[in-house]
Amino acid sequence: MSESIKVKTAPFDARFPNVNQTKRCWQNYFDYTKCVEAKGEDFAPCKQFLRAYTTLCPSEWVENWDNLKDNGTFPMAKDANLSLRQPLSMNTSVRAISRKMSLHFEFTATKAAMPNAASSSSSSSIASSAPRIGKILVSRETEDQQGPLAVSLQTPNFLKYTRHGLQPHLVREMAAELGSMPKATRIQLEDFLADDTPDFSRVGEQGMHGFVALDRSEMLVLDTLDPTVVSRSAKSSNSFMGIDSEGGTRRLTAENFARVTDQLKPDIVVPLADYVEEPLPSLTQGKRISKSISRSAKWLEEYLAKRQHQPAVFAPVMGSHSLELREISARKIEAMDGISGYAFNDISLALPFEHKLRLVQHSLSELSASKPRYMAGASAPDDAVRAILAGIDLVDSSYPYAVTEQGLASTYDFSACSSEDSSAAHLDLWQKSMFENFRPLVDGCQCFTCRNHTRSYIHHLLMTKEMLSTVLLQIHNMHYYQRFFEAIRASLARGTLAQDAKRFLEHYCCDPFDRPAAGAEVATASCTKNVFGELETLAIQECSPTTKIQRKRHVEPAV
Amino acid sequence: MTTSDEFAGLSKPLETSNSPALRFEVLARCSTTKARASKMHLPHYTAHTPMFMPVGTMGSIKGITTKQLEALDCHVILGNTYHLGSRPGPELLDSAGGLHKFMAWNRGLLTDSGGFQMVSLLKLANITEEGVEFENPHDGKKMMLTPEMSIGLQNSIGADIMMQLDDVVSSLTTGPRVEEAMWRSVRWLDRSIKAHKRPTEQNLFPIVQGGLDERLRTLSAKELVKRDSPGYAIGGLSGGEAKGSFWRMVTLSTDILPTNKPRYCMGVGYAEDLVVCSALGVDMYDCVFPTRTARFGNALVRTGSLALRQGRFKDDMDPIDKDCDCPTCKAYSRAYLHTTVTKDTTGCHLITIHNIAFQMRLMRDIRRAIVEDRFPLFIREFMQTRFGKTVPLWIVEALRSVNVDLTVADKSSSYTAVPIDGDSQKEPSY
Repeated sequence: MSESIKVKTAPFDARFPNVNQTKRCWQNYFDYTKCVEAKGEDFAPCKQFLRAYTTLCPSEWVENWDNLKDNGTFPMAKDANLSLRQPLSMNTSVRAISRKMSLHFEFTATKAAMPNAASSSSSSSIASSAPRIGKILVSRETEDQQGPLAVSLQTPNFLKYTRHGLQPHLVREMAAELGSMPKATRIQLEDFLADDTPDFSRVGEQGMHGFVALDRSEMLVLDTLDPTVVSRSAKSSNSFMGIDSEGGTRRLTAENFARVTDQLKPDIVVPLADYVEEPLPSLTQGKRISKSISRSAKWLEEYLAKRQHQPAVFAPVMGSHSLELREISARKIEAMDGISGYAFNDISLALPFEHKLRLVQHSLSELSASKPRYMAGASAPDDAVRAILAGIDLVDSSYPYAVTEQGLASTYDFSACSSEDSSAAHLDLWQKSMFENFRPLVDGCQCFTCRNHTRSYIHHLLMTKEMLSTVLLQIHNMHYYQRFFEAIRASLARGTLAQDAKRFLEHYCCDPFDRPAAGAEVATASCTKNVFGELETLAIQECSPTTKIQRKRHVEPAV
Repeated sequence: MTTSDEFAGLSKPLETSNSPALRFEVLARCSTTKARASKMHLPHYTAHTPMFMPVGTMGSIKGITTKQLEALDCHVILGNTYHLGSRPGPELLDSAGGLHKFMAWNRGLLTDSGGFQMVSLLKLANITEEGVEFENPHDGKKMMLTPEMSIGLQNSIGADIMMQLDDVVSSLTTGPRVEEAMWRSVRWLDRSIKAHKRPTEQNLFPIVQGGLDERLRTLSAKELVKRDSPGYAIGGLSGGEAKGSFWRMVTLSTDILPTNKPRYCMGVGYAEDLVVCSALGVDMYDCVFPTRTARFGNALVRTGSLALRQGRFKDDMDPIDKDCDCPTCKAYSRAYLHTTVTKDTTGCHLITIHNIAFQMRLMRDIRRAIVEDRFPLFIREFMQTRFGKTVPLWIVEALRSVNVDLTVADKSSSYTAVPIDGDSQKEPSY
């Protein structure tokens, strides 16, 4: 198929700025396969992917993948057709109370709404991957006289993404302007490791809540890594998890982690794990994944044995792209006592979201349905709604942060339906047309920014690199993100999530099954852009006005 | 954290002045020094002086919303005409209805003339009788800023107080150029007054010039007083001159300027300078220092400043200042701030908030001490905290000129200071 292709050096691709072009090779091979599937081999725009991977990939890799395709074992669904069905109201209300833990999760499951992936051959129970509406209750023992404090969170929902324990750009007074946000904050330990090996004896009795001035009614989830960072260099060993920090590589052992959680007193922890940094499914050795599973399981056991303070544990579910190994990881976790929920953090694979989601669903079929599930890397609205349909309960708010960092204001609406509704998911405040536009970001929006400021002022703040630009945008974008989840919960309660999600995805021009990767304009004729792709852009672009690395923040779209 | 009640019971002004857009009421005078506490009624807000005005160059104070600025008790903030004149430009500010509306700030605003930036930012400025000729950094074309254009820009911005365009010379310059600049500034003032289109809504302040020459300063001040302006600025200082010359020029100017009108000392913002200049009779100050140093992770305290990036704060669970009631000090330890300063925007915001609150609290303390007529004691306590036993000579001399002798104890305080030669201080580095 490549005889008519003239081979020349592949042009620069902003998604892959590094010297190592391995991921880019894989991405182009995958995009080509997908493009041909959708449009046929003769569709001219597909050729750009072919040209790119022919130059970039070692020929034996391509041969290997071609063979996988011929055998039908290439990791991509072939018969993907969208048949979102209305969830049948099974209403199997399950009240799951883990014995040792103070976390309670009650939920109502609906019938499976997403077709199971063809590759996920094992029988999956209906409840395992159906959207659920629920409530997480954490009862916290406190040292003061007020007795145990119960904090609750409705699901599906998001955990507030933070940097150094605070929501990006927002100090407490401004975060308070956000109003009805979910009272759940996700903090990553890696932000606090710049100075030395993890020791927080200094923070005192109030733990992390006191240190970062979180309200005591806030549910605190402590994870290890920042979900917006896609590429890492620190290596782990049998005894420690390697974590990159501003001060160098830190070695986090299970014992360290137990001490840290004793000191920081979170409500929920996602313990350390040996995440596999490997973009290429067919190149990753099964051995490496097996090792990551056994290390992670061993660390989890050690952590549970060593700790004093007993937060609820969301076990990291491992297994990378291997269905078989995902089952092994899930079974190991199910065999353990003291697990209150699951975390799907192992998503650094350069795979389309739909494929990642199928991997998660495969694990879910082996895991108890009665426990809450958090998924990292599912923050973008289109991904979040798909994840929720697949039975995920929690994501995080890294998406609105990514929107803010690009000088954009969210305008998407879960209930957008008519053709009169705009199909733009955001408003670009960098545009020249904003210069003299004295309207709020969105007419009628009740957020602090829209009540007080104009597009013109925010455009001016961006042009002059004033930090207030990101403060005001972040407030608006968080407001929109919260609205989105409220609408999803309402839709779930009505029993119409499947139709509503389909309409939402179609309205915003997302391929309801597979989102085209950023820049892959040709994936489908009607979908010319990746409307919710801000996180992908964030991953390759440091652009906050205070960042020392001055990169160009925005390129005016060529008209 | 507000000033609402600080002049309660002082309903009768000692002195007043009335202009169409400014009413100034001196409500209390220090019985020892030249300090006074006053109310300045501006079109958008009634400010209490002596006051510090944070600088919001581009129409925002680094990452802080106007709602936060109000909560921090800021009365007047500064905008820079040169910057606002190029972005977003006067046409946009006109259609936005002025800077107040554009940035959603309902209190006082002051704009400079743009002349200082011409000279400091642009190396190729050429000053003629007509105005300042410079090369536009955006397109390289020659441009001219005249007094009329400066006032036109400032009328578009719509600040409560505008500054005349002055012929700025470095405070280190000597010789005939200083005298030429001083007289030219007077001529430019007259052109500015003529060009000012909104005298009932905006105040135009002249600027006392004359370098470090007592004769020229005196001439300049006397010339300006003849124009009966709503208030006066003391300019051409804080440019690296010896502090011994600086305070002498300030006190000479306040001696000539009318006592019933506000005096504004431009570019002053270090805590000890604010205390000394207030004792010399100055009412208004501005400086980028508190907000700029915050972005490098330096938090202001009465003893100097804390470089929170330093490892020694890693385990320090105290707030920046136990006596500070700003949102940062109420919620965060130095150890927490150490983990985030210079890394996240929130770290920068937290220190900026504290540093503004620090300046505002210092000014409130100065005003209260004047109202309660214990300002000399306040000065002694302040200098003791700030410098301990050894105080820079210029401070001792400046204060001695207004009857506060730090080298001998008085009946209110047993503190005595030893003067040291430290008048070339530039950036506090303690």
